[in-house]
Amino acid sequence: MIGIAGLSHLGINTAAALAAKGMDLVGYDDRRELVTKLQQGQPDFFEPGLVELLAEQKSRLTFTTDVNQLRRCDVVIFALDVATDDAGHSDVTALEKLIDDVIRQAANPETVYVLLSQVSPGSTRRLLNRYHHVAPLWHYQVETLIFGNAVERALRPERFIVGCADPKRSLPVAFERVLKAFGCPILPMRYESAELAKISINLFLVSSVSVTNTLAEVCEGIGADWSEIAPALRLDRRIGPYAYLSPGLGIAGGNLERDLTTVSSLASQHGSEASVIDAWRTNSRHRREWALEMLHDLVLSRHSDPTIAVWGIAYKVDTTSTKNSPAVHFIDALPHTPIKAYDPQASLSGRPNVAQVHNALQACDGATALAILTPWKEFNTIDPASIRARMSGQVVIDPYGVFNPDQCRASGLEQHRLGAAAMGSAT
Amino acid sequence: MIEHRQAERQKPSRVVVLGARGFVAGGICKELAAQGITHLALSSSDLDLRQPESTAKLADILQPTDALVFVSTLTPDRGRDVKTLMANLSMAEHVAEVLEKKPPHHVVYISTDAVYADDAPLLRSDSPCHPGSYHGVMHLTRETILRTTLQKSGCPLLILRPSAIYGPGDTHNSYGPNRFVRTALKDGKIALFGNGEEIRDHLYIDDLCRLTVEALCFRSAGVLNVASGKSISFFDLAQAAARQYGKPVAIEGSSRATPITHRHFDQTEALRAFPTLHSTPLEQGLRAMLAAVNS
Repeated sequence: MIGIAGLSHLGINTAAALAAKGMDLVGYDDRRELVTKLQQGQPDFFEPGLVELLAEQKSRLTFTTDVNQLRRCDVVIFALDVATDDAGHSDVTALEKLIDDVIRQAANPETVYVLLSQVSPGSTRRLLNRYHHVAPLWHYQVETLIFGNAVERALRPERFIVGCADPKRSLPVAFERVLKAFGCPILPMRYESAELAKISINLFLVSSVSVTNTLAEVCEGIGADWSEIAPALRLDRRIGPYAYLSPGLGIAGGNLERDLTTVSSLASQHGSEASVIDAWRTNSRHRREWALEMLHDLVLSRHSDPTIAVWGIAYKVDTTSTKNSPAVHFIDALPHTPIKAYDPQASLSGRPNVAQVHNALQACDGATALAILTPWKEFNTIDPASIRARMSGQVVIDPYGVFNPDQCRASGLEQHRLGAAAMGSAT
Repeated sequence: MIEHRQAERQKPSRVVVLGARGFVAGGICKELAAQGITHLALSSSDLDLRQPESTAKLADILQPTDALVFVSTLTPDRGRDVKTLMANLSMAEHVAEVLEKKPPHHVVYISTDAVYADDAPLLRSDSPCHPGSYHGVMHLTRETILRTTLQKSGCPLLILRPSAIYGPGDTHNSYGPNRFVRTALKDGKIALFGNGEEIRDHLYIDDLCRLTVEALCFRSAGVLNVASGKSISFFDLAQAAARQYGKPVAIEGSSRATPITHRHFDQTEALRAFPTLHSTPLEQGLRAMLAAVNS
């Protein structure tokens, strides 16, 4: 029996994936309403494919508020997502309380405790030192959850990175059995290395995003088109086909920001040279404002009474999360401008100037400009001509290039993409 | 970073403007008048801030409910030497002495983008300051004097760092729109350093004045760069000035004495702080200048 403690996004997704590999799971959380909903197969967030997977694996999954049920588990995985503030600092209060509750009330010296939550280096060894007298077996496991693609990644992980007190010793049999069920490489290493490995992955992503965004802006200045350059880079073995080469509106979501803050803090503490972290943050802040600058330049400075259509509120596609969302940031910079917003999943309240509508084209009715700030797949199925017909203006701020430039031009839309000079309308 | 200490726009009860005979302060007074805001314009003939006696006079004038706009400066065309630097610092010393004893409701200081390094290509309000001239050193020191002085009382201080300002009524003849328009009119030519490759931002005077008054109405505090956000080369600027003139203008290059540097401003902080304000397009600003010079 495997236990999952902490039923937020990471925990529920992990439970569903383990069940899909044939394991029996007990998921614990002290939030009664949440557990009741999970017993009905309804998580409190949107993740593609998760509801279906929970339904398929219902017979293997037990959700409970009874912490004692974890006592009988061979492995207990702490998988509560850790909240971050606007400065990227983690708040581990809830995670620490969860761990303390479980160990204090249901510790079993035979159980393997695995920390899957996002923690800073040094955390797992501190837990071992604190609880070794009642719970001597602790491991850290790197989570690689990606909102919107979490189910796929949990079912088919690239590898497992496992932090150990002593990486030369074999993994406990029960834990090894769990990991081997996925058939991917297992990389044991010391706790601190594993904790930093997770951060290292994220910082490499940030570096790719930052380089991409920097060069995309240069493209806009010199008349190059980044979408023509990126395929050439993907064919370079040192860069690779899966590299983050799509320009975007800075770093969002909270996790990458948290890891930047962690490394910055560690570097400061240990005297490491890490000024590149500040450069990445500056670049992210700068690019996050791209759509707003475009809007002021192309629309607000030229129209006395504009209405703006906004497609997308979530910080990225296939999620309901709006944490550090460029769309929300954009909307909040326009408190006096009427906005009609649409998002297939996420919602926004408390802004009197924002009317959230029920479909994408409805948002375009009479709009002076359209800003597509989350590139949901359903958007590129919409005919640009039908957008133009609904709008009063022709400016489309399309940072991610949802629409084909030639189609936009033919439809009389003036499309503005990241990484490319403006494409004027044909009419 | 900038923050508004008043959530709702509210006209200040009175604004005292120091340096009111100058181009910038004169423009701010005009904007205050246009918006019906009570203000007191003080020039060096009313109050010579270089003199220690000015402190008693200013202390008598300044009320706790006033907002103070400090613009008085001996600009580089009045001297680029140590003597000018020290005279300017002396003005700040005297103003600070008054602010320490009688802190007003709000202080706005008009500084300069010369506080940044000459080769800083993209500026934000939190870019590191590294002035390369006495003028920049002077403004940065004045900023520090005011910040340190006002910290004690908690009076909000807003420091505005404008890019190169141009517009009707500019008495300076510095390299840029003012000189280009005048020489185009007078001599039918515009002389460039090198081939005018340097890229710079040019801020229309009315934009700075409107933003200053908005900041007074929101009792804003912090540091903010003020710029058009649209940098162009001096060559392109010369061409734009020539187009406005409407007659043939010779644009002449010269041998280059200094390396080429460029300067751009990230203006999104200002867009967020003052979402209803927009920059005047360069062509429109040049047109207004030309009309003013012609008249």
